[in-house]
Amino acid sequence: MAKTLVFLEHHEGVVQKGSLGVLAKAAQTGGDVAGIVIGSGVRAAAEGVGGTVWVADDERLAAPLPQPRVDVIAKLVRDEGYENVLFGQSVLAADVAAGLAARLGAGLNWGLVDFDGERGRAPALQDTVVVDVGWSTPVRIGVFRAGALDPADLAAAPDVREAVVELEDFSSAAEMVEQAHAEQQGPSIEDADVIVAGGRGLGEPEKFALAEDLAQALGGAVAATRAVVDAGWYPYSAQVGQTGKTVSPRLYVALGISGAIQHKVGMQGSNVIVSINKDPNAPIFEYSDLGVVGDLHEIVPKLVELVRARRS
Amino acid sequence: MSDVRPVDFPPPWSPAEAVAPPTDPVDERIEVGFLVVGAGPAGLAAAIRLGQLLEEHPEQAERLGDVPVAVLEKGKAPGSHLLSGAVVNPRGLQRLFAGRKRLDELPFLGPVHGESVLFLTKRRALRIPTPPTMVNRHNHVASLSQLGRWLAEEAEALGATILPETSAERLIIDGGRVVGVRTGDRGRGRAGEELGNFEPGSDVTARVTILAEGTQGHLTGAALERFGLRGENPQVWALGVKEVWKVARPLDRVVHTMGWPLRPGRRYREFGGSFIYPMGDDMVTVGLVVGLDYRDAELSVHDLLQELKTHPRVRRILDGGERVQWGAKTIPEGGFVALPKRFHAPGLLLCGDGVGLVNVPALKGIHYAIESGRLAAEAAWRTLERGVSARTALATYDESLRQSFIWKELREVRNMRQAFGRGFYLGGALAGAMTASKGRFPPGDARTERDAEHSLFTTDRAASYPAPDGQLTFDKLSSVFASGNRTRDDQPNHIRIQTRVPRELAELWAHLCPAQVYEVGGADGDGTVEVKLAPSNCVQCGAITAKGGRLTPPEGGSGPEYTLT
Repeated sequence: MAKTLVFLEHHEGVVQKGSLGVLAKAAQTGGDVAGIVIGSGVRAAAEGVGGTVWVADDERLAAPLPQPRVDVIAKLVRDEGYENVLFGQSVLAADVAAGLAARLGAGLNWGLVDFDGERGRAPALQDTVVVDVGWSTPVRIGVFRAGALDPADLAAAPDVREAVVELEDFSSAAEMVEQAHAEQQGPSIEDADVIVAGGRGLGEPEKFALAEDLAQALGGAVAATRAVVDAGWYPYSAQVGQTGKTVSPRLYVALGISGAIQHKVGMQGSNVIVSINKDPNAPIFEYSDLGVVGDLHEIVPKLVELVRARRS
Repeated sequence: MSDVRPVDFPPPWSPAEAVAPPTDPVDERIEVGFLVVGAGPAGLAAAIRLGQLLEEHPEQAERLGDVPVAVLEKGKAPGSHLLSGAVVNPRGLQRLFAGRKRLDELPFLGPVHGESVLFLTKRRALRIPTPPTMVNRHNHVASLSQLGRWLAEEAEALGATILPETSAERLIIDGGRVVGVRTGDRGRGRAGEELGNFEPGSDVTARVTILAEGTQGHLTGAALERFGLRGENPQVWALGVKEVWKVARPLDRVVHTMGWPLRPGRRYREFGGSFIYPMGDDMVTVGLVVGLDYRDAELSVHDLLQELKTHPRVRRILDGGERVQWGAKTIPEGGFVALPKRFHAPGLLLCGDGVGLVNVPALKGIHYAIESGRLAAEAAWRTLERGVSARTALATYDESLRQSFIWKELREVRNMRQAFGRGFYLGGALAGAMTASKGRFPPGDARTERDAEHSLFTTDRAASYPAPDGQLTFDKLSSVFASGNRTRDDQPNHIRIQTRVPRELAELWAHLCPAQVYEVGGADGDGTVEVKLAPSNCVQCGAITAKGGRLTPPEGGSGPEYTLT
């Protein structure tokens, strides 16, 4: 059975949902699976995960810089003989995975949606097919597509182990100057369980209030199509689709979205897709679980009322 | 009938914008030996020939510096922006690789075994004799995109440095001489602001710059203006849209069609036809080419291709298959009479489609591109010879081009394309006479008129386009997806057009564009409408430049990512 290490990314002490999803997938493959949390003052975060978790807790690891993390993981992989190192996709994970691949001379596969311990599966040709991918190196590095996996309760007693922190000289060459966050209210669309997305069928930018009301009632986030982002109705950070974000919430509500393939590839992984559109020939109905042909300006306010009434 | 002409609404753009003095200080410029712009058949042939010459004369290497040959390519990779039929006459490649490669080592998909030319009506297909210019015996089917990737590997093996995702934005002129190009910035936002990943362009300088930008070349056009190289007649273009299909049964021949869904009447000016070629045993490519001198504002080459596929004869070939790729590109069709006066300027050589080296009646240009690239490389190399001035060396390019088979063949068919401006039947008869007389009849040279000069009308043409079913027929947006285009949306708009124009013109652009870049917006109350743009859909076919707008290069790496076209 292969030994697998999962990089657990955290933001301010909270381990990210994406990393926990990868850990759950790794646990399913059987074998010896452990996570690793790297940072400063992160012991509590590591303990909260459950199961075997390595922790590298050191002041020099406070800033989310890739090279020191490569040092820690590379040493652990060599000392403990890990064969698989898995990541959930993020900016930091991409840097660390690439650095680690170079350091260990290991193969790296991107955009995985599945992994069985030795081989993976990944969408190709712009998501029109899913192909088997493999590795020809002794150590396999894999980066899972964001939102591809659900976290699961590991129900294992915490077993936190200390990882040795030995940093290379060159790894301290970079220092963190500033960290900035985009201001946003509510959950980000990558993390949201429920997404309400608006398209050109809303008619005008002010009507995004409909999508926002419904999202608020459902406790979800608001997303937008390229057409409305292009038209300046909503910020680019909310764009879902081929050239925007890829999301896979439990519920995706599409309001006035025709559903061109460029949009579909960004949300087809959603569990349940509900769409409201007045055009019965809109392509989105071909991949909706529930399609409503009608005027969203009438339907959505009533839906908001009903959801609120049910919740209160 | 309206008298709206695209040419009366010129884009807010001037060729002078594509020409500039050096920007970077001397020590920050990137110096290369020879610079080629465009990794297509012409540019890569030039790079390969230069590599061969370098191999034969290693003593010259020192004079060319660390990077003796560099090729700039705006696409994601070599081949990403290459699209053609294509049935290739192997002559260009055989001359380029003489004594180095056998015919069976070239990346062709198979020789042409049989061919049919069909005249279509809505329901019937009539087989007609193959016009002599179109006979394809000894020619080979290829994917130009694949051929480009293969040529790029050959060029790299011979020491060329290929720089993909790099657009050539301005021609750098210093002291009246071209000294290189400036590459485009990357990482700008929609309003031109610098984003977090901003990287400024660079001045890339060279002893000779070879422009091989292909159809509607951005810097080629600027150079023709700047150095007064334009010939007597303006260039004209056609737009080709094609699809690649995986099919259930192999196709045993190359097929060309004329007639339906194009209309024969003289007033329509609908000149064109389709091609259906086997790509090995399990793939077929089908495309439609229409001259851009057409006048109907509702003509859409993409939708006509969809209509063509519903013809029983065509549907039978595709039945049970699946579309795997789609793309579009313009083709310079002016031929001999629209060639530039000269093909060189100080420090500069021009090749391939950029200067219109296409034989329209034969439907061929790839072997001309390769031959012109090879000849340009030899002229550029002559600048290294002792006792030869750079001016004299580069002028030999024009001489060798005029002595080449390209010149002889283009001359023979020089009036054929224009004849079809007189309608299909008379045009066809004239073309036959021209072929029989090797171009001597009718005497004299026909003229070309700019595509944008023809006034527009509408005939409710769009009503006959089939509704996309997602199986046989497709809409434009899913087709853009099938081109592999995933251009970053938040980059500056690279398309220059007037955005408040008469409705006919806005409709023309919306239908013309195979990638749904233009949308007709609301009326402004003064008889004009607003044109809305989705520039990231653009597959850089160049049609807008022929019909009253101007395509400029977007950020390097944008646009389609063709692999099979």
